[in-house]
Formats: sequence, C-alpha cells, structure tokens
Amino acid sequence: MKKIINFLKAGLMILGLAATIHVAHAQEDKDTVKVGILHSLSGTMAISETSLRDVDLFAIDEINKAGGVLGKKIVPVVVDGASDWPLFAEKAKQLLEQDKVAAVFGCWTSVSRKSVLPVFEKNNGLLFYSVQYEGEELSKNIFYTAEAVNQQATPAVDYMLEQGKKKFYLLGSDYVYPQTTNLVLLEYLLSKGVPIENIGGGLRKDESGKVISAGRYTPFGHTDYQQIVADIKKFAASGDACVINTLNGDTNVSFFKEYAAAGLTAEDCPVVSFSLSEDEFRALPAKDLVGQLGCWTYFMSIDTPANKKFIADFNTWLAASNVAGIVKEKRVTCSPMVLSYNAIYLWKAAVEKAGSFDVDKVREALESGTISFDGPGGKVTFTKNHHMTKNVYIGETMANGQFKILKTFEQVPGEPFLKGTFKAK
Amino acid sequence: MKLLYHNITRLLLLFLLAGTLGLHAQTPSGGNTRQLITEAILSSGDEQKKKISELINADDVALTSTILTKWRKSEVYIATDAGDKKVPYTLEEDKPIRIDNGQPLTLPQGSAVETDGALRKAIASTLNLLGIADPDPKVRQGAVAKLGGQQKAEYVPLFKARLEKETNAQVKYTLKEAIAITELADASPEIQTEALKTLGSLYSKRSGDLLKKFAGDPSVPERQAAAKSSLVKLENYLSFCETIETMFRGVNYGSVLLISALGLAITFGLMGVINMAHGELIVVGAYSVYVMEGWFTRAFGDAGLQWYFIAAIPFAFVNAALVGLLLERSVIRFLYNRPLESLLATWGVSLVLQQSFRYIFGPNNVPINSPSWLIGNFTILDISFAYNRIFVVCFAALIILLTWLLLTKTPLGLLIRAVMQNREMASCVGVRTAQVNMLTFAFGSGLAGLAGAFLAQLGNVGPNLGQAYIIDCFMTVVVGGVGNIIGTVCSAISIGVATQTLEQVLQNSVLGKITVLITIILFLQIRPGGLFPTKGRGLED
Amino acid sequence: MTQSKLPLSSEHIAIIVIAFLGIVVAPYLNTLPPTSWLYISDFTLNLWGKYLTLAILAISVDLLWGYTGLLSLGQSLFFILGGYAFGMYLMLQIGVLGQSKSELPDFMVFLGYTQLPWFWRASHSFWFSVLAALWVPALVALVFGYLAFRSRIKGVYFSILTQALTYAACLMFFRNDTAMGGNNGFTDFKLILGYDIRAPETQRALYIITATTLLLIYLGCRWLTSTKFGKVQQAIRDSENRVLFSGYSTVSYKLFIFVLSSMIAGIGGMLYVPQVGIINPSDMAPDKSLEAVVWVAVGGRGTLVGPIVGAVSVNALRSYSTTAFPEYWLFLQGLVFILVVLFLPKGLVGLWTSIVEYISKQEGGLRGVWASVMESLMKRKGATK
Repeated sequence: MKKIINFLKAGLMILGLAATIHVAHAQEDKDTVKVGILHSLSGTMAISETSLRDVDLFAIDEINKAGGVLGKKIVPVVVDGASDWPLFAEKAKQLLEQDKVAAVFGCWTSVSRKSVLPVFEKNNGLLFYSVQYEGEELSKNIFYTAEAVNQQATPAVDYMLEQGKKKFYLLGSDYVYPQTTNLVLLEYLLSKGVPIENIGGGLRKDESGKVISAGRYTPFGHTDYQQIVADIKKFAASGDACVINTLNGDTNVSFFKEYAAAGLTAEDCPVVSFSLSEDEFRALPAKDLVGQLGCWTYFMSIDTPANKKFIADFNTWLAASNVAGIVKEKRVTCSPMVLSYNAIYLWKAAVEKAGSFDVDKVREALESGTISFDGPGGKVTFTKNHHMTKNVYIGETMANGQFKILKTFEQVPGEPFLKGTFKAK
Repeated sequence: MKLLYHNITRLLLLFLLAGTLGLHAQTPSGGNTRQLITEAILSSGDEQKKKISELINADDVALTSTILTKWRKSEVYIATDAGDKKVPYTLEEDKPIRIDNGQPLTLPQGSAVETDGALRKAIASTLNLLGIADPDPKVRQGAVAKLGGQQKAEYVPLFKARLEKETNAQVKYTLKEAIAITELADASPEIQTEALKTLGSLYSKRSGDLLKKFAGDPSVPERQAAAKSSLVKLENYLSFCETIETMFRGVNYGSVLLISALGLAITFGLMGVINMAHGELIVVGAYSVYVMEGWFTRAFGDAGLQWYFIAAIPFAFVNAALVGLLLERSVIRFLYNRPLESLLATWGVSLVLQQSFRYIFGPNNVPINSPSWLIGNFTILDISFAYNRIFVVCFAALIILLTWLLLTKTPLGLLIRAVMQNREMASCVGVRTAQVNMLTFAFGSGLAGLAGAFLAQLGNVGPNLGQAYIIDCFMTVVVGGVGNIIGTVCSAISIGVATQTLEQVLQNSVLGKITVLITIILFLQIRPGGLFPTKGRGLED
Repeated sequence: MTQSKLPLSSEHIAIIVIAFLGIVVAPYLNTLPPTSWLYISDFTLNLWGKYLTLAILAISVDLLWGYTGLLSLGQSLFFILGGYAFGMYLMLQIGVLGQSKSELPDFMVFLGYTQLPWFWRASHSFWFSVLAALWVPALVALVFGYLAFRSRIKGVYFSILTQALTYAACLMFFRNDTAMGGNNGFTDFKLILGYDIRAPETQRALYIITATTLLLIYLGCRWLTSTKFGKVQQAIRDSENRVLFSGYSTVSYKLFIFVLSSMIAGIGGMLYVPQVGIINPSDMAPDKSLEAVVWVAVGGRGTLVGPIVGAVSVNALRSYSTTAFPEYWLFLQGLVFILVVLFLPKGLVGLWTSIVEYISKQEGGLRGVWASVMESLMKRKGATK
C-alpha cells in the first residue's frame, strides 16, 4: 500500500514541476516588449497597491495607443505579491528570470523593496519604485521616483516653523520609514534651534545616554490610540505644538477618530501627515480631518491643464476597463499613483534616448540627468543619484477629501542620504 | 513697582477704550456690522486681515461671531449678480441669506469662499477677542485660554475687567490662569514669583512648560523655588488625573474586548466550537453599519447621520446572526465532535469571507461618520471622558444584562444551558439539540455583529478588521474560564485595565501588549481553567 | 498495513528512487545548458528548495498533530526562530558590502546603533549559528511545553496558547527596538561561508542540502514513529488518560516530542532563509502557523508522506494562482481547506488510499473496475438508443 502512496508522491512532484514550468512558458514576440507590474493585489497591502496597478496599466495603454516604445507595444505582466514579502522576492525572480521583462514597476512597502533588491541586483534588472520612502539606500538597479525624506518631511517642518510652531510631537508606525524619517527630523529640528525638550513622543538613548532617535511608534494595525492622544493633549496644552505623523495608511483612522474625540483640532495642534493621500482619504471620515496638513509631490487638486487631462483620461480609461475586480466608482488620484505613472513615461523616454531596452544602456540614459517628463504634478527629472527633482506641495485637508495647496517648493532635488547632514547649532 | 504696573495698565485700558470709541465715532451706528463683514470677506491679503481684526468693533457681537465662525468653516459662499458684483451669503436652515443685508438671496448660488491657515488664524484671533464677552461660557473659556497663551500684557486689563463681571467658575479659573500666565512675561521677578505661586495654586495644566522653564532658571532663587514648588504641586495633580484617566481607558478598552469576546464566549465557551471566523462576523456587523449609514444619508440627508446608528445596531445583529446561521448549518454542525477540525474549517471560512468582503465592498477601508452625539467629550478636573467611550461602556453593560437575562430567565436560555451542560441527557428528555445549537450559534454570531457595529465607531472598517481582534477575543474567553459569562466580564475588564496601565507606565504600545500576553500565558499555567473554571466530575479526554 | 519482511521492499525502492530524483537528478538537470528540454531553471530549482523547507515545517506540525494529537499553532514561531538565528550569521557576513558600508547590519546603522548588541556577537561563527537554530527553538519549546503540559493544558487550549505565544513573539520581533530588523527583518544577504549566496552554484548546493535534510528527517521520523516510543506517542493521541493510568509519564513524552518538532521546524527555517533571501516577522503571524496546518491537513495527517505532499502541492498551487488569478487565491485556499476538513479528513494521501482500496476490492483489480465502467457506459449508450 505504501508503495502506492509513494508513487502518488512522485506523481505529485511531477505535477508540481509541470505547474511551475507551465508558469514559465515564455512567449517570444518581435513586436512587443514585456514589463513587470509587481504589487500586492491581495492581503493587507492590497488597499493601497491596487491603485498603482491600475494606473500602471492605464499608462501602458496610453503609450501603446500612441505607438508604443521604439515601435514595440508594451505587454504588462501583472503578478501578485499578496502582501507576503518572501513571495515578492519569488515573483521578482519569476519576472526577471522566466518572463525576462525589460523593467519592473512595483512595490509599496520598504520591506517589499528590500526583499526584491537582491534579486534585481543579481539579475541586473530595473525596478522603478514610487512610494515615499526612508532613503539611506542607492541600488544601481533601482530608480526611485518616490519622495525622499527631504521632499516631504523637511519641507513640512520648514512650513510648520514658519507658522510659528515650537513643539513637535513625532508619531509613526514602527517600521523603517518612520524610524528613519524621525531620526533625520530629530537632527533637522535640533539644527533649526528647536530645543530637545520640545520634541515629543519619547527619545531613545544608547548605552552611553546619547540620544539616538526620537518618536512614538505603534505597530501595524494598532487600534487603540487613547493613551497616545492623551499624551499629545498634555504635550500640546501649552500651545504652539504640532504632530508630525508618519503612521501608516489605515491606522490613521483610529488615530484621527480618537484625536477628534479628545477635542483636539487643527487649530490647537495641527497634524502633518506623510502617508495619508487622497486615496487613503476615501476611507476616512473627512470631517474629522479638516484643516490637517499633508505634504506630497502631487495633489489631485493641482490646477494645471496637464493634471486635469490626466484625471479625466484616467477616469475614462477606468470606465472602459475590463480588468477583473477593478474599482470604477469614486476614484481619486494621489502622489504614489502619479509617481508610478511618471515612472513608466520616464522609462519610455530613457529607452528612446538609449535606443535600446538593454538595462545598462537605459540606466546610463536615466543617469545622464536629461530624462525628464512633464507629469501631472509638474516637471520631474531624474538625476544621477537615481532620485528625481520635483515640486513639493504642502496641502491642507478639505471636507471633500481633497487638499488645498498652501505652499509650493519648486524643483526640490531628491537626496537619499540625509542622516548626519544636519548639525545642531 | 506695583503702582507703576497698575498705572501702565490703566493707561493702556484708556488707550484701548479711546481707540474703540474713536472708531465708533467714525462709523454710523447701527447696522454697520453686516457692511463691515461683507467688506472683510470681499477684500484680500493684508487688507483683509486688518479688516478682520477691526471687526471687534462691530456693533452686533453675536452676529459677527456667527458669521465669522461660518467663514472659518468655509460655510460662507459667494454669488455673483448681473453687474458682476460679488454677494457673500450664508446658509441658514438650508436657505441662502445675504450677509450684506440679511435678506434672502435671490441670485443663483455660488461656491464656498476658500480659507487658508493664516486667514483662519486672523479670524480666530478676532473671534477670541469677541469671545471674551460671548454668552456661552465654553466659548469665553476657550477665548481666554488662547489669548492668555499669547502672553500679551495689553490683554490683562481685559481679563481683569471680565473677571469682575464673570459668574461662571470655570471661566473665572481660566481668567485667573490667563492673567498669571501673562504676568510671567513681566519684567519684574516679584510679579513673576507671585504669578508662579498663583499658577501652582491653580494647578494650571497649561502652564506646565513655563513652570519647567522657571524651575530650571537659577538666576532668581526665590522665583526658582516658587516655580519648583508649583511644579511639584502640578505634577502630583496631573499624575492623579492620569491615573483616573488610565483606569477609565482600561475600563472602556475592556468593554470593547468584552463586546467583541462575548459572542465567542457563547459559541466557544458554551458550545465548544472554535470559531476562527468570529472576527469576520464582527466585520459583517461593521459593514452593516456602513450600509445603513448609506441608506439613511440617501433617504434623509445629513439628518440621517444623527439616527442611522440606532437602526444599524439591530441590523448588524441580524446580519451577523444570519451569516452565523448559515455557517452553522453548512459547516459547523458536522464538526461538533471534532473541535480541532472546527478550528481549521472555520479558518477556511474566515479566508473566504475576507475575500468576499473585498469583492463586495472593495479592498479599501470604508469611511463611517459617527453621529454627532458620539463625538466630543466632557471634562471633570483635567480628566476628559469621550462620549463614544462612555457609550461603549454603557452598551457593554446593557448587552451583558440582556445576555444574562436571556440565558437565565427565558425558556430558550434554559434549553441552551441544558444542552451545554449535557447534550445527551438533554436530547434524551426531548430537547431538539440540533435546533438549540443552531439558535445559540446564531445568537453568539449576532453578538459579534453588535461588536462590529461599535468598532465601526472607533476605527477602521475594512476586510481585515476581524483579524485584529480574534486573538484578543480568544484570550479574553480563555482567561475568564470557558463557559462562564461573569468570568468573561472580569477577564475583559482586567485585561483592559492591565493593558492601558502598562502602556501608560511603559510609554510604549507594544511592550504593554506583549507583557499582558505573556502574563496570560503564565496565568493559565497556574489556573488552566481560567478565573472561574467550570467544575465537573467527568474526566474529559 | 502489512510490513514487508524483505530487506528491500518495493516501498524502500520507491523512496530511494524519489530521493535519487530529488537529490541528484534535479540538480544535475539544472547544470544542463538552458536550451536543453530537460533543463530545470535556477528559478524552478530555487522554488523547489523553498517548498522542501516548508515541507520540513509541515513534518514538524504533523509529528505533533498527526502523531501526538497536539495541534500546535506555534510551529511557525520555531521555524522563524531557526531562520533568525541563522539569518543573524548571514547578516554579519554582509559586512562592509551592505548599503551603509559599515560592519554593522544596515538596519542598525539606520537606527543609530554604534555597536553590535551583545546577543549578536556570537553570530559571527557559522557553527554557533547553526546550533543556535536548533537550541533557540528547543529552549523556547522546552520552557513553554514544560509549563503547559505540567498543568495539563491540551486540545484547543494548547492551540490557543501556542497561538498567543507566537503572536507575542511576532509583536516583539516587529519592534525595531528589539534590534532584529523590525518589520523589514533580514535581507540583502551576500555571502555564506565565503561563497556568493546568489550564485546558482551556491543555490544548487543549498537545494541539495535541503533535499537531503528532508530525506533524513523523513527517515528519522519514520523510525521514531515505528519504535515503542512512537507507539506511546500515538496512544497519547488516542487516549491520554489511559496512557497515564498505565504508568507512563505523558508529560515527558509530550515534552520530548514538542522539543523535537521545534528543532525540526528550526532546521526548516535555517534552510529557508538563505534560499528565499529574506526573513521577517510577518512569517510568524498567526496565519502562517495555520497555513502550515492546512498543508498537513491537505496532504494527510498521521502519515509522514502527507505533510510533504501537502506542503509542496499547496505552495505550488499558490505560486501558480498568485500569477494566474491573484484575486481568487484566498477563495481557493479557504474553500480547499473547508472541503478537505469536511470531506477528506485524511487528506490527499487518504483519498488515494481509499481509491486504491476500492479498486483492490473489485474483482480483477484495476482491470475489473475498467471493465465495469465500460460495461455501464455501454449499457447507457444502449438505453439512449
């Protein structure tokens, strides 16, 4: 009997092999070029990442309608990272080794980028990453259309100082982006002459008692912000305080509901958020948030013809789209989406400049500093350090879930390595 | 010194009065209010800010405050007449009323006036000055506190004048505090010392930072001593408030746990079914609230927002109970004798349900607006109590009471208890155990739905909501002693208080939670049956 | 089940053949030129390496659940502890090759550390780390198991408590202050024993080691379950009280098996890390332990082949469906699970066994079944005409 069981085992192994080989079947076509789209379409991160897939597909359709790249139509290979980081690495391997894509647009969380980074370096692939991140990284295989810390956090602090704020409470989710941002902000605030006792949220000290980091952190999916809000209320009692919020996506709901319930308002103590875009606002009761601030390199409310056209075209595309499970109603655009959109056009521009899909040649073109694109958020240009020069906007939340732009910093160059650059006076 | 100070303040007061009178003399009395506000709205830049600051001189204080408040909330609109003249108006009971003459607007409606931070700041400061004389004590208090924080000596006479007339104790307190805080900016150390002492005796929370500053400044020893003693007083007082507040937070966090776990206490505790899909039943309740909110706002507009929640509560219960019923009929009834397998199968169900939510409501979280009677808080001493939290506590108590009544005072309760205690025996005496199981499971699921209705008012509503609560729920039930409602109540409240206290002490959200989990694990080694173990003579295997 | 008395039964032959295919042939095919139709790509081989480490995890679950009746939802904790213990070595091997060009791991540099925390210092040694991947999970299992079994926690309670333990550990590892990489965990490995970890040769070697380890663990467990010890273990599953009353100390038996299975899981984790290239706390989320239980249930609990079949087939299905129809993966996983629990309590292996039994009961075996099927088909055809 066991013999049979073992035959079954063999059979299954063969079946499994067949399945994996089946996945690998590659269709070579002279008139097309494949690009990978690697986002979580299921699991916890699907909330945010699905929108990026949509806009990627939209950009690709747009380019294909206009004649493609170097005369070739782009064929997107969409894979699901399922909010599972090792699976991201597996999918990246599949895209590069099996599907042999020319470039990959994808990832949202820092950890997903970190998990695919070795894969891209090993296979000399090309990844365009488009979500605000912590910096301190520069891979020759990754191009960051994302906001660097000096394209979000430091301009926002400048703005708050300008508004006369003197006390800063640092609050974030416990992962590498908030941790690093707050580390940089701590140095930045001290360099601007803000005394250390005016920085709230707690300080972390090393063995010798030297302050190495600041901020209050909560885990993903944290739901109970009562204690933290009470702490902020105490901190803000003496006035002129603000909260620098790097909480991740949906924990913001619990936080802001608690904030409103405790009677804190944007006038007493405004909250500047870096991870809360129009897309997240769809899930927030906007009334609780009026007057709170955000800082991004794109807002849907930007009043330019390019942006208006982008939004209109995207909605038309959505209406006609037949992608399975796509949400068609009440869609908005936000910074990560536009940065993803820009990424595809920038890649196209670089390929056209290089005259080839070869990764090394495309990289060379991108690094030349001449690849730029007039996107919905204004002009963006890749610089030699794989980051972009672009406009930074400070916006204020309105009851309709949009931002009203309060201030624009023109053409800020992205800088990944900021730690240690701001010295206290 | 003191004399000089008084003279200066008197002088200032005079100037201020003179200025006010002077302005009054220039403008025609009566009815200038609407005109001034209209001008302010239609101007722009620094001019606008100046005009706003001059509005303190308008005749009709109440009207000025009303319109300014609306302006600040972007509820002032501008219509344009045939001659391209701009006419600002507001909505009163949904009817457009012109600001310049108070008449109904006959022109087509326009769009809202945009405001920015600086403008709102200007409006706020005028409102504050107006607010000192506002009939509403809350407004007076807020205005005084804000003006006091600016530490401008010219406001002191205003405060003092008000203090003489003021009858409300809280506003009086705030006025005294504001005067003392403003005096801290005075040049004379004596006055500062006095002010520091006053602040200490007032237990002024707002002055904490200033006290610290003076306590750390050794240049005038007397002043430093006063600051230090006031600071100690304040800190003792605050830590007392904090303790009470932490307790309250603990109780309401415990109530959330209790509401979430009660359904599980029924299905797991009484029936022995490990329902991993319990979290998803909570989500069903939460989405029911979302659906109900949509219906109400569509049917009744903004008024619906006030009352939808009342209708949503039974709706959530029924929906979750129906899903539970379906679950029991299709999966769980085959697994009553295989508890471990029921754990696995219901986990499968939970995955399917999660993905169904994504399919029906989209992967994003959905927004839920709380009715206004659940927003806000009230304060005793310096301890604030949020309405929604108080509601949760009361509601938890109510649910417990109803559940207890159902289990002990109704025929169904009797049957449920009979089946739980001895299924075979109950069956022998003619109880239809299959039916009782089904009803009990549906009831437990319905309770999960109620929990969802509440969680919807406190945080996210999305497909993953249930996952965040499931382990906490299991812990609560196991600690309480399986099959014991009172045990569940005790364990929920103690876990809640312990978690909040640890969070407060450690100033860290996760370490508190980890410590509680580890404590629970250790506690169960000592008392494997939980707080109130079920006593039995049988040797279960 | 009859056991063959021959020195080499057909069953043994089957094991040898499959082991040979898995350990020797598959890596050999990987070295062929990519143009050959028999070529197995680096990607596929690596994927299989990953599946096999998960199969090791599944065996550890089954050893507890299928053979001793203890449903542990903490196996992914042990798996990940093993992974982290070995991952620390890999992190330190990166040295100055990392992003930050510092001797410290990158994430520590981000967080402002200036020196290695004490518990990291021994991880420079390869052998220390390999042993740590065994004793760290074993220690946790020993302490937890001793406390739990002593107070006679069993059944569902044991499951819930192990789940709580895993959850607590998961929260702990998610904290950046724990100095274990927080949410990002460990990644961007470069070297292992001086070899480039990303080179196909290294990956092939890792695959061979994994396949061999799986074989050894399989054989070891097979032996163990056939000894007297194994019989007691299964008796505990069936009726613990009777075993207790027969004078056996069930606590020691359960504790031994719990610790052993935690070590097996740790080995799985240790092999998983270098092949997948990342380890982070989301792998020990409560769901992951349940997934491992699913594999065992799908494959067939109470057999040693079952977990391997289950782990490999479910994961292959997952790899396939997250590409082919991403939206439906959770539906599929959930439904498979419900159906398996309801209708296939013995899993795929059990299904196969019953089919075979059914066939062997028919006259003339497979041929008889064939004949009767054909006959009934013919009949129906005749009837419709």
